[in-house]
Amino acid sequence: MTASRTNFYLDKQNAKFKGVCSGIADYTGVDVMWIRVAAVLLTISGVGMPWVPLAYMLIAWMATARPIGLYQSDEDAKFWQGVRSNPRRSTAEVRSKFRDLDRRLADIELHYTSRNRQLADEIDSLR
Amino acid sequence: MEGVAVPFVLFVSLFIALPWLILHYVTKWKQAPKITHEDEQLLDELHMLARRLEDRLHTVERIVAADNPNFKPGLSQSEWRSESRLGQHDYSLDRRN
Repeated sequence: MTASRTNFYLDKQNAKFKGVCSGIADYTGVDVMWIRVAAVLLTISGVGMPWVPLAYMLIAWMATARPIGLYQSDEDAKFWQGVRSNPRRSTAEVRSKFRDLDRRLADIELHYTSRNRQLADEIDSLR
Repeated sequence: MEGVAVPFVLFVSLFIALPWLILHYVTKWKQAPKITHEDEQLLDELHMLARRLEDRLHTVERIVAADNPNFKPGLSQSEWRSESRLGQHDYSLDRRN
């Protein structure tokens, strides 16, 4: 059984401290810099004073690190970010990809069948 | 008046507005559509399949276009982007059919 790609993971590869911010960035697709800036500002300004560091440490303690090689490529990672935020839209995207493939395959088929018809017409004209 | 208004606003924003905001987004997040593990596997397979088929169809289109100059390959949104992908192996061999 492979690891789930819809779970939250700590991103140790891009971590500055524990990998919570980069994990959130990886999960949501928001740029990691903005999340770090928000976390630091909320802590320093005192708005989320006990809560932001507390949540950070709790997440760092509870969440597991992302397995290495969870995504094949950047495009794969983007796709799964989309699935996490809206699985319905991702499914529709995959369907549209299949429709696109079907259309292009139909183009090739049409090209060959129509070419054979042209060829048959030419053979007929030679008789 | 001033002495009452400032703590009142502070109280309302800290103990009513903030939890409201947080709980609002928590419930939204809970209500968001979730997919099961089986669905996830299925979607992963379909996604990989679509990419493999697209790569293959791209190859076939190039062959057909080379054989028949008057064949115009159906330009899709990803048609010429995939040109750069040809060199790099963006899917591993164990996930191929």
